[in-house]
Amino acid sequence: MRFDIILHSLGYLLRAAAVTVALSLAGIALGFVIGALVCAARRSGDRFLRRLGGFYVSFFRGVPLLVQLLFIYYFLAEYGLDVPAVVAAIGGLGLASGAYQAEILRGALNATPAGQAEAATALGFAPFDIWRRILLPQALRIAAPPLINEFILLLKASSLVSVVGIAELTRVSMNIASMTYRPFEAYLAGGMIYLAINLCLAAFGAFAERRLAAGGST
Amino acid sequence: MSEAMIEIKRVSKSFGALQVLREVDLSVARSEVVCLIGPSGSGKSTLLRCVNFLEAYDSGEIRIEGRLIGYRDEPGGRRPMPARDLREMRREIGMVFQHFNLWPHMTALGNVAEPLKRVRGLPASEADERALAMLKRVGLADKAAAYPGKLSGGQQQRVAIARALAMQPRLMLFDEPTSALDPELVGEVLEVMRDLAAEGMTMLIVTHEMGFAAHVADRIAFIDSGRIVEQGPPKKVFHESAEPRVRQFLQTYHDRNSF
Amino acid sequence: MSFAVLLHYLPSLIAGFGVTVLCWSAGSILGLAIGFAVALLNRLPAPPLRWLLRAYVEILRGTPFLVQLFLLYAGGPYIGLRLSATAAGILGLGLYSSAYFAEIFRAGFAAVPQGQIEAAMSVGMTPGDILWRVTLPIALASTVPAIVNMLVILSKETVVLSIITVPELMYQMQTMAAETFTAFDAIFAMAIFYWLLVEAVSRVGRRLEIKLTAFMAREASA
Repeated sequence: MRFDIILHSLGYLLRAAAVTVALSLAGIALGFVIGALVCAARRSGDRFLRRLGGFYVSFFRGVPLLVQLLFIYYFLAEYGLDVPAVVAAIGGLGLASGAYQAEILRGALNATPAGQAEAATALGFAPFDIWRRILLPQALRIAAPPLINEFILLLKASSLVSVVGIAELTRVSMNIASMTYRPFEAYLAGGMIYLAINLCLAAFGAFAERRLAAGGST
Repeated sequence: MSEAMIEIKRVSKSFGALQVLREVDLSVARSEVVCLIGPSGSGKSTLLRCVNFLEAYDSGEIRIEGRLIGYRDEPGGRRPMPARDLREMRREIGMVFQHFNLWPHMTALGNVAEPLKRVRGLPASEADERALAMLKRVGLADKAAAYPGKLSGGQQQRVAIARALAMQPRLMLFDEPTSALDPELVGEVLEVMRDLAAEGMTMLIVTHEMGFAAHVADRIAFIDSGRIVEQGPPKKVFHESAEPRVRQFLQTYHDRNSF
Repeated sequence: MSFAVLLHYLPSLIAGFGVTVLCWSAGSILGLAIGFAVALLNRLPAPPLRWLLRAYVEILRGTPFLVQLFLLYAGGPYIGLRLSATAAGILGLGLYSSAYFAEIFRAGFAAVPQGQIEAAMSVGMTPGDILWRVTLPIALASTVPAIVNMLVILSKETVVLSIITVPELMYQMQTMAAETFTAFDAIFAMAIFYWLLVEAVSRVGRRLEIKLTAFMAREASA
């Protein structure tokens, strides 16, 4: 094995890793906004909105991400829309992640026992105050660990945007592989960088979970 | 007949820095029913679990019909008993747990028949037949095909008793058998245990049912802080004890249960 | 997309679907087998072995499936592992999913109540009998929902195999799209097809789940 090749292109790989992280961050943020809206739709009193939210979740969780990404890519091409590939990639990641985040948020809201809202109502809380002071703080606490997990999943899934030509970590590993004729070392290096990022995220997740759990008891 | 069924001598046991049993002595004769009572955390469940070595005691000795359980005395000192010998001894000691511990993937009949097939090596038809007879004995022949999840707590505990009895044990251990039950279901389990006592089964029972203990036990042992501080016939322990801890415990019990 | 075009490509699409199903089922079986072995070995009281298994699981779960596939298919020959695209795809799916299955089985083992094992010990059952008759059935029953969920996820992951030229459905569809300039129609059809497939598999899975775990259904209070 020739790891000097990897060391040689390490700067290139690390810049690509930064692109991967940036893409994922943008994707998770967009996904959170979409997820919150879809979650609200699924919990609304309107039957049509509930259906629509359910349809969204079912579709974007049911269709493979690669198909979704290519769909967006071809859709834009078909209608001659001149959108940078990066925007399409972030849009694709965000749309897909939105479906998963909607379910995470919905689960977190459902996990707060109904009795607590009842107790607040009995004490004369206004509905908005119940939402703001009782439900939301608990729901976010419950949702935080799965959201961090979703970020890890999205970061790995972002490797698929390499097929639409964005110079993120997987694409750059491919480039190094074909330039150096050393695919084993190139992909191993790319994989190790993904692993390092994800282990950091997992450690952060565990830390956050401990902090939140400690906060919950006081 | 001279030999005790269970002979506990100077048994001590610690969980880390916490000493839960302190040089406990207790013996149970053949066909005798002994109830262990005492405040929670006093060590009574631990003592019971030491008798079939689900919990390893640190020092002292526990003998079942004269045979030391859990350890083997060798010239160099004491060694853990071979697992095979321990299993052989456990077969003769029935145990009933607070939370029943029925196997959820087997029917009531399956739960009772399983040890007969695996441990006693009975052919399936014979094991099932004996299992059904045992279920009949605890009044649950009609529930043979039901899974534990579909049975009430009282019924589950009776199946658990049948499972232990089917092995034809020499003695039975009960670890708070009615503590996890709704009050209206306690009676059916105690009735089965009462019948068992009447048939001459040797029983060591950890319980909070003072009424049952008073009527069925031959002897009561009161444990506090890992020591047996009082023992004797129910009448003596319940009504004549001079030991302040026993009197206080019984007073609390009476206060809580009278209205 | 005209009907004639579709008819022309239908045989290759059907063949592609066959490869998809083959990769999915073979990869899942491989993943289940390795994952189960990892979870069982993890129960042995050997710290270095556990450490090794932990690393195995973390590496496979911490890296993208696509990168694992590239490493196996493109990098493999450089360490003497020469595989066809389909073989690399199946092996890749199997290794990737084995880490997730190992975690599912580990959680299943951890979910077996200690008391039910103690009950088996108290009647004198051997460790082997306790494992096969008590621990495993209870552990496996509790893992059915997670396994079904993982199988659904894997059915979607098979499209990634098209990137390393495994001739599965996605690959055949893209070939057709490139030759007939009907990319948008083709990918739209793929989206609908996979959506229906995943919905159908999920539904069958849920029914299977209910059937397999019906006896485990407990009343609220034990």
